[in-house]
Amino acid sequence: MTGVGAAPTLGAPADDGVRSVPARAKPRSVLGHWRLYLAISPFYLLFLCFGLIPVGFSLYLSFHRWDGLGSMEYAGLSQYRYLLSDGQFWNSLTNTLIIWAIATLPMLFIALVTAVMLNSAVRFKNFYRFAYFLPNVTSVVAVAIIFTSIFSTNFGLANAVLQGLGLDQVAWLNTDWGIKISIAVLMTWQWTGYNALIFLTGLQTIPSELYEAARVDGAGPVQTFFRITVPMMRPIILFTLVVSTVTGLQSFTEPQVLLANTNNTSTFAGGPGNSGQTMVLYFFQQSFDNNDFGYGAAIAWGIFLVVAIFSIVNWRLVQRGEK
Amino acid sequence: MHLSRRALLYAGLATTATAALGGTTAGCSVPNGSTGRNMTLWYWTGGLSDKVVADAKKRFTDISLKPAQIGGYFKSKLLTTMTGRAYVPDITGLKGEDMASYLPNAEQFIDLRTLGAEKLKDQYLPWKWAEGIAPDGSMIGFPIDTGPVAHYFMPEVFDRAGLPTDPADVGKEMDTWEKYLAAGERLKKKVRGAHMVIDALTIYQYMIAQGTQRYVDEERRFIGDHEHVRRAWNMAIDAYERGLCSRYQSGTPDGNAAIENGLLPSQIGASWVAGDLKLTVPKTKGKWRVAALPGGPANNGGSFLAITKSCRQPELAFEIVTWLLNADNQTRGFTDATLFPSTPASYQQEAMRAPDPFFGGQATIDVFGPTAEKIPIAYHSPYDYPLDQAVSDELRNVNALGKDPRRAWKDAMAKCRRIADHLGVLT
Amino acid sequence: MKGTRARGLTLHISLIAGVLVSLFPFYWTVVMSTHSSTEIFQYPPKLLPGSHFDENVHHLFQKIDFFGSMFNTLIVAVSVTFLVLFFDSLAAFVFAKFHFPGRRALFVIMMGIFMVPAQLQAIPQFVIMAKLGWIGSLTSLVVPAAANAFGIFWMRQYMKGSIHDELMDSSRLDGCGFLRQYWHVALPVVRPGLAFLGIFTFMAQWNDYAWPLIALINPDHVTLQVALSQLNSVNGTTDYGMVMAGALLALIPLLVVFFIGARQIMADLAKGAIR
Repeated sequence: MTGVGAAPTLGAPADDGVRSVPARAKPRSVLGHWRLYLAISPFYLLFLCFGLIPVGFSLYLSFHRWDGLGSMEYAGLSQYRYLLSDGQFWNSLTNTLIIWAIATLPMLFIALVTAVMLNSAVRFKNFYRFAYFLPNVTSVVAVAIIFTSIFSTNFGLANAVLQGLGLDQVAWLNTDWGIKISIAVLMTWQWTGYNALIFLTGLQTIPSELYEAARVDGAGPVQTFFRITVPMMRPIILFTLVVSTVTGLQSFTEPQVLLANTNNTSTFAGGPGNSGQTMVLYFFQQSFDNNDFGYGAAIAWGIFLVVAIFSIVNWRLVQRGEK
Repeated sequence: MHLSRRALLYAGLATTATAALGGTTAGCSVPNGSTGRNMTLWYWTGGLSDKVVADAKKRFTDISLKPAQIGGYFKSKLLTTMTGRAYVPDITGLKGEDMASYLPNAEQFIDLRTLGAEKLKDQYLPWKWAEGIAPDGSMIGFPIDTGPVAHYFMPEVFDRAGLPTDPADVGKEMDTWEKYLAAGERLKKKVRGAHMVIDALTIYQYMIAQGTQRYVDEERRFIGDHEHVRRAWNMAIDAYERGLCSRYQSGTPDGNAAIENGLLPSQIGASWVAGDLKLTVPKTKGKWRVAALPGGPANNGGSFLAITKSCRQPELAFEIVTWLLNADNQTRGFTDATLFPSTPASYQQEAMRAPDPFFGGQATIDVFGPTAEKIPIAYHSPYDYPLDQAVSDELRNVNALGKDPRRAWKDAMAKCRRIADHLGVLT
Repeated sequence: MKGTRARGLTLHISLIAGVLVSLFPFYWTVVMSTHSSTEIFQYPPKLLPGSHFDENVHHLFQKIDFFGSMFNTLIVAVSVTFLVLFFDSLAAFVFAKFHFPGRRALFVIMMGIFMVPAQLQAIPQFVIMAKLGWIGSLTSLVVPAAANAFGIFWMRQYMKGSIHDELMDSSRLDGCGFLRQYWHVALPVVRPGLAFLGIFTFMAQWNDYAWPLIALINPDHVTLQVALSQLNSVNGTTDYGMVMAGALLALIPLLVVFFIGARQIMADLAKGAIR
């Protein structure tokens, strides 16, 4: 179902290492490429062994009612029908998209700028990279405690800053937008350094002659950034965008740790008004809190569809720019 | 330093080989349940007294008892092994809140009546005993602990508001929710910034817990719109509309600071909340007392031990379970892990009667003990949880986001009917 | 020259600001691991390290077999990292630089698999592993993780940008076969990309928790994160000082790996300038 819309674009990358090969190589049979198939086979074999059965099982499950222990009861399409009319699922979809949008786009931009700065810094390089990487490995427990105190109403750092600027306090973890923004900030904090590191890796592959030529032509740093860095980095940017979409739309840990303390009856509820309940949190709530594994499986397939659609759209947008 | 590809290759091969070898040696064990020599016992951190478990290991030497503390989300691990029918523990803990969902699958566990459980019945709290019994009459859960709910309060702040300060007086003068809210009114007037109730949801949840019915009855009919739910909802809304509920959240820095500053001098909570208070607001030591809950006794929390069908020596397992959970060991559970006993005999024992300096030397068992003994037997349906979610979420929307209460009630009921319908509950 | 210096200064000031933001929660972990649990919840919060670190670590070592479980984690993480680096880069090389029948379809399938929510899989995977007799052993963690779509996708994108066609052509003219092209042409060029994938894989394995928690049924034979998860109590009386000390100690190997890997990422900077 992913392939239908995406195939033509997915397979036709524009930077041209690939397309030129068949032009030169003699056409060969499928068997003639056995080395290539062998080289890519481990991933597909592992998927056949450990991935296909679970995926098939969950598909089967989504057409049944099951409490996790007893016998399954055939339910036809009713789980999916319920999904379509389930306000809480649509709410979780909206939450996920909003949080993803306000977290991912600024995050990737800051990461790219940070990477360029890191690349041009001469001293303390190792130290900087080390420091920027730390948020990604800091323990979840620590992150949860710290961010709930940063966003606490009376003692939080966030409100201290607002008051310093002469603005009103915000009850961050008690309002619809406050919750979403807090989660987005937490995500941005945790993943910016990681993405910067990816970009930095990509920056290494840009030949320095290109920059020197630009300098001779009198281009400033901003021009160089948009004329050389961004186009040369396109495959890497595409990678980060697709990965951020896939992981961002499946976000789970960040809202869970941040909102576990908000007087919820369930740690998967996502705060007041379910304002921070993402799709995966809702999946957990239905499967494990409510023992509704059949419906949980239907939600999971809903998540898959959303992720696939958004990834394809992103892919096309970035590919379109390539000539 | 520069790692060569070759060096990496060798290092990698070596560790991979180690992992593979480790796999083959560990892979030969018999996959299902006890082998006759081993008996596994699953619980979670703080679910049993570790010392009692260690003693059980020494005491039962016919087999080797293998206790395991399972971290993370306990239920998902247990369900996975049980549906996978492999490596199922012989004895396992079942959390109280999950009990209703295990009961319809009683065939997965051994009926403890067949092992002679009935003989021990009168040593345990009757309502707790009933919670371990499935609809078909078989008994799957043996009582570990309970969570009798009480009213924690700060006499010093109550005094400033002209409210009673002696635990007995507080219990008497606030024996109904109406009187409790009236006292809240006084508190609000006399002590600036103080609230009686942390969150409207508290009142709702404990009023529901005081009843004998929840959202679905024994005939699988939806009763979430009946009087007992409406009364609890209305009381909670009343508290909210009179401005008696704070917007703090328990466990957050703001909430803890408010407690420390005496702005939330009344906390409704189970016996284990004492431990939370000691940990999160240690400065309030000596400033608390415990009184009976307004509106009658209620329970929150507490769990069970069960013997699975994979167990090959049920008699011995039952012997272990009953030893772990006899009155003496339950008392030790209270001392070691604040597990409130389900054995009334424990309440007379020295260790439980010791005055607690955190509560100004009060012997809190005088409140918790009688409460635990008077909790009504209630019916818990496996569908209660999602329905309670829907109602509680809406109440939270009122308290935290200022949603119109009438609208919230309508939305809650609409959601409940949809969910009930989806789950096959009659509406 | 004056302009350059001013620019350098702005650069460092912005970078240092970023560093402070990044480091703060880590610093906080250090602070919390040196206080007792009751101190952690006091207000105003403690900003400086306390004196309970030894005590917290002592409790930690009493509660769990820290080094034993760390050793298990190390075996799993190193094995997986090595396998992933090899399988993923090999597959990525094929996808990035060769054309063969079914390439598009196979790539699309791979990306589709990448998008399936991982949470779906626990129960059936457990059943498969139980049938294979791998439950409880580290094999059940290593094998399913040995190749992944994320890494293939990453290496493919990286190779597209960094392995130039001239290089491929000239190696072909020199008579290099497929494997030799992979080993002698592709790998040296993509070393920074591999280093990143290595760091990331190691880190993900080190911190992985959901699957090991289910697959490792023997309490004496667990990974570090599973052991740490046993420290959290249900009744709210978790010893946070001890938990934090555990979290902090568990980080150290990650930081070492990162340091080694980060040098690799930078190693080709000089070569890049020559190229």
